Amino acid sequence: MTEEKNWHTHRDAKNARLASASSLFNGKFAKTEDVVEVLNTLIKPGDKVVLEGDNQKQASFLSEALTKVDPERVHDLHMIMSSISCPEHLDIFDLGIASKMDFSFAGPQSTRVSQMIADGTMTVGDIHTYLELFGRLFIDLIPNVVLVAADKVDREGNLYTGFNTEETPTIVEAAAFHDGIVIVQANEVVDKLPRVDIPSDWVDVIIPADKPYQLEPLFTRDPQAITELQILMGMMAIKGIYAKHHVQTLNHGVGFNTSAIELLLPTYGEQLGLKGKICRNWELNPTPTLIPAIESGWVQSIHSFGGEVGMEKYIAARPDIFFVGKDGTMRSNRALGQVAGQYALDMFVGSTLQIDQWGNSSTVTNGRLSGFGGAPNMGSNPTGRRHSTPAWQSLKPDDDPLAKGQKLVVQMVETFGANKKPVFVDHLDAEEVRKEAKLANVPIMIYSEDTTHIVTEEGIAYLYKTDSMEERKAAIEAIAGVTPVGLRSNPEEVKKLREKGIVALPEDLGVRREDAKRSLLAAQTMDDIVEWSHGLYNPPAKFRSWS
Amino acid sequence: MRNLWLFPGQGGQNPGMLDQVDPQLKEQVEKWTNVKLLDTAEGYQDSVQIQLSILLLQIDQVDQLKKLGWQPTLVAGHSLGIFAAAYAAGVINKEDIFKLVTLRAKLMQECYPEGYGMGVVVGLSRPEVKKLVAEVHSDTNPVYISNQNSEMQNTISGKLIAIKQVLALAKENGASKAKLLHVPNPSHSPLMQKTADQLNTFIAQLNLHQPSCIYLANYNGHAVRSLKDIKYDLGNNVIYPVLWETMMQVALEYQPDVSSEFSPGTAFTKLLKAKTDQLHMVTLSAMSIDDADYLFNKWEKKE
Repeated sequence: MTEEKNWHTHRDAKNARLASASSLFNGKFAKTEDVVEVLNTLIKPGDKVVLEGDNQKQASFLSEALTKVDPERVHDLHMIMSSISCPEHLDIFDLGIASKMDFSFAGPQSTRVSQMIADGTMTVGDIHTYLELFGRLFIDLIPNVVLVAADKVDREGNLYTGFNTEETPTIVEAAAFHDGIVIVQANEVVDKLPRVDIPSDWVDVIIPADKPYQLEPLFTRDPQAITELQILMGMMAIKGIYAKHHVQTLNHGVGFNTSAIELLLPTYGEQLGLKGKICRNWELNPTPTLIPAIESGWVQSIHSFGGEVGMEKYIAARPDIFFVGKDGTMRSNRALGQVAGQYALDMFVGSTLQIDQWGNSSTVTNGRLSGFGGAPNMGSNPTGRRHSTPAWQSLKPDDDPLAKGQKLVVQMVETFGANKKPVFVDHLDAEEVRKEAKLANVPIMIYSEDTTHIVTEEGIAYLYKTDSMEERKAAIEAIAGVTPVGLRSNPEEVKKLREKGIVALPEDLGVRREDAKRSLLAAQTMDDIVEWSHGLYNPPAKFRSWS
Repeated sequence: MRNLWLFPGQGGQNPGMLDQVDPQLKEQVEKWTNVKLLDTAEGYQDSVQIQLSILLLQIDQVDQLKKLGWQPTLVAGHSLGIFAAAYAAGVINKEDIFKLVTLRAKLMQECYPEGYGMGVVVGLSRPEVKKLVAEVHSDTNPVYISNQNSEMQNTISGKLIAIKQVLALAKENGASKAKLLHVPNPSHSPLMQKTADQLNTFIAQLNLHQPSCIYLANYNGHAVRSLKDIKYDLGNNVIYPVLWETMMQVALEYQPDVSSEFSPGTAFTKLLKAKTDQLHMVTLSAMSIDDADYLFNKWEKKE
């Protein structure tokens, strides 16, 4: 008889690691000042390590500690991060502690990421959508160690992650049930938690942090920075897309275009008699600019990927709208939010830095490998979808007996972006970046085939109505203004496209340019938003005016 | 508090700018270099005078800020500015830096007595300018794309006849500005190889130190921490474009709280303002060291 195979090598290895560090622990708790030694002991060369960092919440205490480990003991780590946001996330590559990265979004560090790939300091596994990355944590990127952040922890090791629960439960689950080690930084140790977000059974090590985790107010937009051009585009979108397609469930990207729309609902939307008919259920972070629409009865529900600094009291006072625990604080969840965003919505509205002649869009530009965050999941048409809604159904072609509907995926851009560079280009910079960074695929954020509408200050292109690539290109040219792509358009063709309803200019929609005034915004300043919230919204310091 | 120190190169010099400089330091520098610093409009026709005076002004400001306890987290110099940046990072001592820059200025003055220079193109992207340069460049009439000051502002360096051709093409292709610069040599291009060789020979015999902060290198736009990379930049930045736009992009990814532009001028703060509103900005040519000290203290307390 052969010797019996050991089927629990992972568990043995985990137990051995924890045992070797046992002198550092009191139960599950380690001391703040021992954090570097805990990481030195528990992490091994070549480990797959998830360091929690998304576009808002950062396990900053643990990420700073990771830069201080001994590269002789801890090296060649394979990092898995939904967002590369902080300088130290890349410093660990400079220091020889990590060598490989799988990620979704690197916007705030995109230049250094490009440089590190070019000089070989970092190998990239792949650039993922959020859902792909979360999915792979359970398939072929199962982590050895995860480093996550909690607001509060009780003496038994239960975690409260509250408003900013985000992806913590997903990351912890992938490790906890496959013998990975779960290390948690905690802002505060308390006797009684407001509620348990993650049970102590899933947690191995808790380290009280020297200061609270870093949190960015990413979704706060000051109405004062909204331009009249954005108001015009918002009016066109409301009339030509939201109302036309009866859009009831939706997500808005991060941008002033969509903030303008949120602030136009209670005014312009009300004038058009759309209240109750559109924009009822949202997958969206609690953005302050939606407060006037909530207060005037437009919104039935909002589920969120994460929290937003300053919105805590307002959310607690509106449990009919937000997802709030019995304790009165919101619970967010990025993984479920992305699932909802991909499958359960009528429409995604986003923005981009470049759109090519065929309608592909990307925020990756020369020298900046930014990745995309949530847009590729929400900005794709889930072809396996079954349930129907009026909006989805309204995009169904009528010449095919087996035809089905389609998600609305809308790009809103001004024809020239920052630095007066054209947004519409023949070829995306991403094509070059693919070669330089040796990626398997061109880093396109939203594919042409999924893009149903493009809105510019010139008009709307209803791409879903085109029946050839030539027609699609012509529709894009028609609204691309005086960019090189737009200059190829001719009046004859635009006239035909307008007759077919493939292109609509403001006058076709009955939107008058001279009506696009700031006074149309339900709130024109941060103070106005605070007033709408009955004083419950508390803007972060950098958005407060002291004048 | 993370402080990004910015050091401009030639261009902003103006008569009388050394009025506030420590007279002892000025005297010392004149002794080290055998150059009498005139600080007059006439004097600033001469690039040795320009380079040494700007360096002196910047070193004096670095000394004053350090005396008050301030240290940079990141340093970035533009062309000549890298020398004060390296000094601020503790890489090189005062005497050596002045001797090095004297040599550099003299070599640059002598290398191309006539017929060479630089131009600037505003309103076209770097790939667009590259394309025009490629149309004109030849072995007999060389011209290269050089400094990347911002995404839509690039310089070209080479033989004047070729530069003028590129400038004319740039205007035809929609540049909002395309003009010659008052620079008498093709700086930041391969045409400066001989100058670089001689500088490297001089640098090789200096006693240099590991940097105390992050240094943004001109030649590749990277944030570097090793003496080797800084040494390379000091000797060779004359043959490479200054990748300022990339340097600033990288610097901002380190999330500085404050940027401090050393004298002369405020050009780089203006470029930075166009990129971000996420940090405090100080320009030492527009305020006293005491004012800067007051602001730094105020911002540090707020953190």
